[in-house]
Amino acid sequence: MLNAAPEFPREAEPSGHTSERAAVALRTQGLCLHYGHRVALSDLDLTIPKQRITALIGPSGCGKSSLLRCLNRLNDEIADARVEGRVFIGATDAYAKDTLVHDLRRRVGMVFQRPNPFPLSIHDNVAYGLRLLGIRRRRELDERIEAALKAAALWDEVVARLDDSAFSLSLGQQQRLVIARAIAVEPEILMLDEPASALDPAATLRFEELLHELAQRYTLLLVTHNMQQAARVSDFTAFLHQGRLIEFGETDAVFTNPRERQTEDFITGRYG
Amino acid sequence: MIQARFGAAGTWLIAGITAACLGAILCLFGLLAAAGLAPFWPSAISELQLHDGRSLLGEIVREDSASAIDPALAIRTSESAHMGSAYQRIRLDQIAARTQPADAILIALTDGRRLFARGDAAQETSLLAEAAAPASVLEVLRPNALGFGQRCAVFVQHLVRFLATAPAASNLVGGVLPALLGTLTLVLLMSLIVMPFGVATAIYLHRRRGFGVRFVRTAINQLAGVPSIVYGVLGLGLFVHGLGAGIDRLFYSERLPVPTFGSGGLLWAALTLALLTLPVVVVSVEEGLARIPASLREGSLALGATHDETLWRLLLPAARPALLTGLILAVARAAGAVAPLMLVGVVKLAPTLPIDGAFPYLHPSRQFMHLGFSIYDAALASPDTIRGVPRAYACAGLLVGVVLLLNLSAILLRNRLRERYRALET
Repeated sequence: MLNAAPEFPREAEPSGHTSERAAVALRTQGLCLHYGHRVALSDLDLTIPKQRITALIGPSGCGKSSLLRCLNRLNDEIADARVEGRVFIGATDAYAKDTLVHDLRRRVGMVFQRPNPFPLSIHDNVAYGLRLLGIRRRRELDERIEAALKAAALWDEVVARLDDSAFSLSLGQQQRLVIARAIAVEPEILMLDEPASALDPAATLRFEELLHELAQRYTLLLVTHNMQQAARVSDFTAFLHQGRLIEFGETDAVFTNPRERQTEDFITGRYG
Repeated sequence: MIQARFGAAGTWLIAGITAACLGAILCLFGLLAAAGLAPFWPSAISELQLHDGRSLLGEIVREDSASAIDPALAIRTSESAHMGSAYQRIRLDQIAARTQPADAILIALTDGRRLFARGDAAQETSLLAEAAAPASVLEVLRPNALGFGQRCAVFVQHLVRFLATAPAASNLVGGVLPALLGTLTLVLLMSLIVMPFGVATAIYLHRRRGFGVRFVRTAINQLAGVPSIVYGVLGLGLFVHGLGAGIDRLFYSERLPVPTFGSGGLLWAALTLALLTLPVVVVSVEEGLARIPASLREGSLALGATHDETLWRLLLPAARPALLTGLILAVARAAGAVAPLMLVGVVKLAPTLPIDGAFPYLHPSRQFMHLGFSIYDAALASPDTIRGVPRAYACAGLLVGVVLLLNLSAILLRNRLRERYRALET
């Protein structure tokens, strides 16, 4: 295990906000990602502060989702994906030879763009990750499932039908279910890949409230297409363009007073 | 869309062809039902008065239509010597009168012989006493005196006897219980063998990529096209003479030269059928695995599951409908294969059942009977075709019924599973 105290690369340090230096949940160093000959990410240095919501914005195909998949090494599943550079989850070098991939993935939870509940009951969906951890005792399982569903603001709606199929839930409920499933295994970081894109406006609003609650306990990394959402929800914002990190800073600063021309163009809707 | 591409004539053509296929299937079931069930119906006893003064009592088993060149009928009279000895061909113009006397008695014996007589209860008793030796009496009927309800009762009784008793008189009469049990045991044992192998192969093919895998997949698909008798030869050489003889030399050497596993038997037949059905299982399970959305797999991996955990806890359960589809296809193919079985263990008459009350209850080395072989035997290898052919129909109907029943249960199970996984397919 690498436990060298991660140093802040200058250019990625959150601008403004000098009074408190946030603890670091995740850091990338010169991260490059290639799919075959295509470059998806190049030389990405990013530092994500702990227990904050960081929004990743950028035009389609800029590498937001690819970045998430680098962080939990889901790109390992893609045959021609090649990663260079380093990723630190806390103090762990994610791409070190002695890092256990499945252990790393448990620590970096992921919620996908479309809700992907397993074809199991609501109860078993949340129990899935817990059982992987070797938790077998009925009481402990039930307690942790209840806690996770409560944290995902779903408990009250499903308490009476935990044994129903997860597919019987509405899309918004399914999305909260997969969040409950992800946080049941107590990840350090929760990555959400456009989690609200399948939801209607009312559900989106409730969902954003949920994100705020989750941020009390988890580091959230939120990919979103929706500028207003990024502005409303996040503490920090990173703007990616063509696989490069263009700007990173406090959300207020990025949205009101962007340093880069490209960021301003994107935020004001001139492209993307 | 069809209409747009083919025009009205094309639509009619397609509809016609579909209708023809459906019609053929309906004909098949109708024929099997009619011809297969007919022998169980209590047939009437006729008395013929001939112009030459003779009088014949018996069952009319075949009759030409009056328009035939030399119209005649065949009648089975009392078989006092042995079964099949008393058929007579009578030209229709020889017959003076034909009646169905209500006091006609049919006495069926356990050795298959049927005796006919007329008379009251007293005559019946004396008849029984003389007829019985050396066989015993199976049933005594007065079919002409029976009402419709009583005939139905007799029909059901015959049907039950057909299903629940052992055959007699070299398979021409009696039941098919051993063949039915043999078929079911064989299919069950085959399923138990083919499913683990088929699923394991499908998982391997699903995971690996590259030239080797493509080669293996092509090879497996080709296996599906190999004629089934070839598998019989393979089973005979590989399992019976190779594996079986080896087992005998190692473990049963004290019984040699009498073979234990070194001759055809249930286990070898099941293994042969498992080889035969392996391709269909592999193909359908692999397709099922490929149909599971990648988002499920990634969702599981993202939770910290290893590949093996994802496979066992998520992918295989989600692929259960495909597993059942594979099983259904395998059972259908296995139940229909007779040719390979004749080489590896099916016999005309097996002295023992493959499952019985004696330890170890299932006897994999025993020879067994099979409905498919019974069809062949009754239709083509029996000394009495008038009895054999209807029996072949009955066996065929039963075989189709067994396969349908097995498939139906698997399909019901699959539909219940599909209900659970339906949301995945959208």
